[in-house]
Amino acid sequence: MRRTGDHVLAAIPLAWLAVLFLVPLGFTLVYSFGTSGFGTVQLGFSLDNYIQALGPLYLETFLRTLGFAVGSSLLCLVLAYPIAYAIARRSGRFKVVAFALILLPYLASLLIRVMSWQILLAQGGPLEKILRAIGVLHSPITILDSLPAVIIGTIAVYLPIAIIALAVVLDRIPPEVVEASQDLGASPTATFWTVIFPLSRPGIATAALLTAVPMLGELVIPVLLGGNKGLFLSQAISTQYVQSQNYALGSAMVVLLVLAVAVIVALLVRLTRGFEGTAG
Amino acid sequence: MSTSAPRSVDSSLISRRTVLGAAALTPIAAFLAACSSTGSSGTASAKLTGQLNIYTWPDYFSDKDLAAYAKKYGVTPKISTYTDNNTLFTKLNSAAGAGYDIVVPSSSWIKQISDKGLLEELDLDRFNLKNLDQSLLNRNYDPHNKYSIPKDWGLLGVVYDPDAVGGEIKTWQDFFDAGAKSGASGRIRMTSAAEETVGPALWVQGKDWNTKKIADIQGTEDFLTTFAKHVKTFSAFDPNALKSGAIVMAQANQAAARNAILLNPKLKWVVPGPTSELWVDSFSIAKGAPDVERAYEFLKYQLTPTVQVNETVYLGYPASLNGLRDKLPSNVKESDLIFGGPDVDFDKLTSFIVNPDTYPTFQDIQNKVQAAAGA
Repeated sequence: MRRTGDHVLAAIPLAWLAVLFLVPLGFTLVYSFGTSGFGTVQLGFSLDNYIQALGPLYLETFLRTLGFAVGSSLLCLVLAYPIAYAIARRSGRFKVVAFALILLPYLASLLIRVMSWQILLAQGGPLEKILRAIGVLHSPITILDSLPAVIIGTIAVYLPIAIIALAVVLDRIPPEVVEASQDLGASPTATFWTVIFPLSRPGIATAALLTAVPMLGELVIPVLLGGNKGLFLSQAISTQYVQSQNYALGSAMVVLLVLAVAVIVALLVRLTRGFEGTAG
Repeated sequence: MSTSAPRSVDSSLISRRTVLGAAALTPIAAFLAACSSTGSSGTASAKLTGQLNIYTWPDYFSDKDLAAYAKKYGVTPKISTYTDNNTLFTKLNSAAGAGYDIVVPSSSWIKQISDKGLLEELDLDRFNLKNLDQSLLNRNYDPHNKYSIPKDWGLLGVVYDPDAVGGEIKTWQDFFDAGAKSGASGRIRMTSAAEETVGPALWVQGKDWNTKKIADIQGTEDFLTTFAKHVKTFSAFDPNALKSGAIVMAQANQAAARNAILLNPKLKWVVPGPTSELWVDSFSIAKGAPDVERAYEFLKYQLTPTVQVNETVYLGYPASLNGLRDKLPSNVKESDLIFGGPDVDFDKLTSFIVNPDTYPTFQDIQNKVQAAAGA
């Protein structure tokens, strides 16, 4: 009886997922083999859209976006790890406060947070004034509308996610394991690299997943902080769907993006393989 | 007007336009309900008895006029927004597009949207068209105004700092030449609307941007992708960037340029030759509108002279009222600029019409230009 109830409970979200995710994805897959009119798709089986999506412009765009997502995600992880470590293992009774502070930016919408960076990084803006006041900068700041501005904004937006994902896992590493390492004569550095870091792999994988995957589809930040230059994949897809009204090509690009995400997920699953049961 | 909406993405109007544009639905209904109930409680006209669904650009109607309309007719306008014509077309062309009464397409998309059967044919006898600027009627994108009545209009021009660019800009060739020089290179803003990138390059060659020859359009690609490295941004127009000097030359419509000039009076505005764009945002009734009668009622209200003057002052874009220039309040600053300057000749301007056969080529070039700019 209880098992039946469990199945019913599981079926509801599964049905929800199927309707909201798999059905649209199915349409996208079917469209990707079709032939596009202006705002219409003639169904059929053609690989032309995939050939075009893998052509020089979009392949380069895809690789650039992939590089951006992987690089920014790595940077996020490197910055997040020490913060997460401090929160999980050093913040004591202030842990909840620390988590709350990390999550505080999410009270504002993404658009507002990114636009705040636009104001902050603008020529003649607050950052320039501060840097000039302390004598670090002597000429106008020109970082806005460039790739570094996009990376700064991206890190700012995704860093809290990485911190939380890592802190949750680091928090669950049993103190006994660390103590055992120390009792056996390992230095703090050796304990970190041989015990804590390997045990935090699921947190690293989760943080990488939660940052790199949405970064692959990031649209707002490159437009607002990057001057809409250096085409990103999401911009290219959006252009095909909305501007060019070429749903078939846009769909092929989406399918390729989903495949790329699947590869990333598979790599991260492999990274954490054999981990089950070692922590928590 | 352009697909990219010189106004929708204008951060010149960031406080009341771009930010609001992020919201799919503006909660104006609640605001209006509050206004009318406090304004005339107890009167029959204060009771909001129905709804009018308007799909439009963000913050494209003055709240005061909407509230006055709600109070007079007892109808709550419910505003939904889009930030470019492509989105309007996509939505009207899908099941999600049902339920709108009024839409505000731009001249560039009216033919495409009406060809798809997405707009109601208008009964022009219900309007007093003699009140409107006759040069805005019966234009090539909608002969005899079968589907649209002009709401307001704008121009594609250039706002620039003459000291930084090293002289006066008179033509699009001047724009490209100045952009490649050290004073302006890397400090240029272009729009993200493909036709407004490709158009000037075609005009420089003496060609029509409504050409059906794809080879002509493709012929601009090398020039534009080479020029791209001089462009700092294709994002929203930001008057503060022109004030600070981060941008010294920008493609802009006259309302955006006016905002920048109000911040920095040494800036100049020009509608470059040999030709440039005239866009006309227009009122249309969506096919299958739930309440066509109310839609006509709203349009007639919007076309009354007082409302047209109010809307012009509020938006900074000229409404379609005949003789509007003389009817604006005397305290409106730089009022000439609202009309693009003292001597804009509509006959020398051209309106873009989206053609499904050529439009993807425009977009393809725009993608390549933006990619090249960031390389």
